Amino acid sequence: MREKTTTLYLGPQHPGITGNMMVKLSLKGDTIVKAKTEVGYLHRAFEKLLEKRNWLQCFTVMCRFCVPEPDPMENIYARAVEEIEGREVPERAKYIRTMVLELARLQSFLLWYAGQNGSAGLYTVPQWSVGDRNYILDLFEELTGGRIYHMYTWPGGVRRDLPEGFESRVLKVMDYIEKRQEDYDRMMFDNSIFQKRAQGVGIINKEKAIEWGVVGAPLRACGVKSDIRIDEPYEIYDKLDFIVPTQEGADVWARALVRRAEFKQSISIIRQIIDKMPKGEIYNKVPNPQKWTLPKGNAYVRAEAVRGEIGMFLQSDGGNKPRRVHVRGAAYVHAVSLLEDVLVGQNVSDVSFIMNSLGTCPPEIER
Amino acid sequence: MELHKEKQLLETLQGVFQLKSGEIKRRHRIEVEVEKKDVVPLLLFVKEKLGYKHLSHISCVDWIEEGRFELIYMPWSHQEQILIMVKVSIPRDAAEMENIDMIWRQANTYQRELREMFGIEFPGFVGDYDFILEDWEDIPPMRRDFDTEAYVKDHYFERPGREDAKDVRTEIAKRSGEQIPDFAKKYSR
Amino acid sequence: MNDKNSQKIVDVIKNFARKHSLFVLAYGTGCGAIEIPATMTSRYDAERFGIRGAATPRQADVLLITGYLSTKTLKRVIRTYEQMQDPKYVIGFGSCTINGGMYWDSYNTIKLLDMYLPVDIYINGCMPRPEAVIEGFIGLQKLIAAGKAEGAKKYKENLDWYRANQKKVIKNWVMPDYNW
Repeated sequence: MREKTTTLYLGPQHPGITGNMMVKLSLKGDTIVKAKTEVGYLHRAFEKLLEKRNWLQCFTVMCRFCVPEPDPMENIYARAVEEIEGREVPERAKYIRTMVLELARLQSFLLWYAGQNGSAGLYTVPQWSVGDRNYILDLFEELTGGRIYHMYTWPGGVRRDLPEGFESRVLKVMDYIEKRQEDYDRMMFDNSIFQKRAQGVGIINKEKAIEWGVVGAPLRACGVKSDIRIDEPYEIYDKLDFIVPTQEGADVWARALVRRAEFKQSISIIRQIIDKMPKGEIYNKVPNPQKWTLPKGNAYVRAEAVRGEIGMFLQSDGGNKPRRVHVRGAAYVHAVSLLEDVLVGQNVSDVSFIMNSLGTCPPEIER
Repeated sequence: MELHKEKQLLETLQGVFQLKSGEIKRRHRIEVEVEKKDVVPLLLFVKEKLGYKHLSHISCVDWIEEGRFELIYMPWSHQEQILIMVKVSIPRDAAEMENIDMIWRQANTYQRELREMFGIEFPGFVGDYDFILEDWEDIPPMRRDFDTEAYVKDHYFERPGREDAKDVRTEIAKRSGEQIPDFAKKYSR
Repeated sequence: MNDKNSQKIVDVIKNFARKHSLFVLAYGTGCGAIEIPATMTSRYDAERFGIRGAATPRQADVLLITGYLSTKTLKRVIRTYEQMQDPKYVIGFGSCTINGGMYWDSYNTIKLLDMYLPVDIYINGCMPRPEAVIEGFIGLQKLIAAGKAEGAKKYKENLDWYRANQKKVIKNWVMPDYNW
């Protein structure tokens, strides 16, 4: 019997798609035989615009590269500029930066809870986790003035010091979120609907995972212990005590468990940072931005975001503007070549479920 | 900080290939520059023999004054924890580079972007032409000689009043009958 | 029903009903989409105002343009907008829909949304807070109650002008005619 192949365009206008992108699926019945990612709906030509901005103006653009988690992008830009220029960062600024990064991780985890469960049809968890995320965004707002885009980590340090009593408020939110984790466990990880949906779905080839450029939680769910924060410590991660959780399943369930464990690690990291936070300067003053030039050179700086490894290649030609800024997002590999591979053989109803678990974020693919 | 792993790697590479230059940038980073013909052998060598399995990034810089594109391949080793930046220059007119998507599958995506954004051709490379842009008719936009401001003037409308960058808060406040507080006035331009 | 006064009463009732059931199309066209979950969920709870999501364009009333539109998305947005049934409203969300915002010199994003689609109300900010989003929706509700949210009518009457603008950006126009 000859089976008919149906073509299904999933997106860009589709509530299940994570962001503005399209997956073109060839289906036999309910099963996907071929998937093709089409991106470019969010291309804003940032890398072109950055060639026209001076070094300080660039810093306001950086956070817009990735919307769910803007702080690592600011951080890698700041570190790339510092590496080219050889600028020192005060110790306290490093601690604050790390705290901001970890808070950003936490809010991104909560957003991921929402996406993962929303795509499985469990609508209670999004209501809770996006609501809880607001508590972290409130902290950000107090610290930086913005809920989503912070523009806080700049070359040479951070923009302003912690407000009075900020640490105690952070700890309060951490206690609250840690307590809420039990509720999420009950709604999500102990929920047989979620377990049945997640187990054995979206399996990545474990042997090929490293070669195919899988990074972050999906790679750790394949049993590879890899984390930029430990492999190539930046800021103050080498002074902190945390573990890199791994799982063996390589499916959506394993990735969910890895993220759950990382969530707990992030809370513990923030507590350690607040415990050890030194006093002192918070930034190293940069020159007049109009006259600020960097020596000729390049740098490639990486950081660990929730979605995986992100990197920035920065080339300076000795002028007051960058010659080239090139961002590598985790989704650049995850959502194009990896997703096309993982989706084959899956059920069509699992597409957005798998996309969420791989951490698909279109704005950093096309920039 | 001890850099013996980096030194050892640089010596190995210098022994096997003719490097145009090679330096240790810092811990976890070394940078080498090679001829175009050595790129694929070097990438294959570091991947298969030295275990640099993870391709972190491929980037490209347009040095229009010198008439060349500079491609940078960045493989990373999870064991050694070193990232090699392999630089290669190719001429800007008739830009062509060897295809490496049989070494790393995800290079396919990078090459599609390089072809679209810089106009670099990869002979023997099968990949869809449209990646990010749609119906693009101008020169590849990431080239330095593409003027984005002129393009914007030609193709898009502009809201009047943007060009003088005036402080519009007084106007808005007048319209809605609000008072601008004194502390805010000192920040106005 | 030809009586002018009774038509007025019907309009008032119609607009009252419309303004309290705004179904927003779930189409995140730009980065502003990140504040939509926050607006819809527990803390800000936009459903208090009758604002809720709709999955398909044919069942939606409001098209939220959440931020910049690249030319590639503009094509899809126009198609989506034309699929929507009357009554329909467009909200421009974020500074980049108003005047290009920080993408003023980007070759791939449009700068003035109201040259391509009839915008009923703008919400400014980069990005707008959930309170601002709700404020914008209340502004739209006021316009609807006053019978002034006539974007769709404007679009129908000036279709040629809008088409000319749209075709200036979208080179390969392969879309069906707009006929409702």
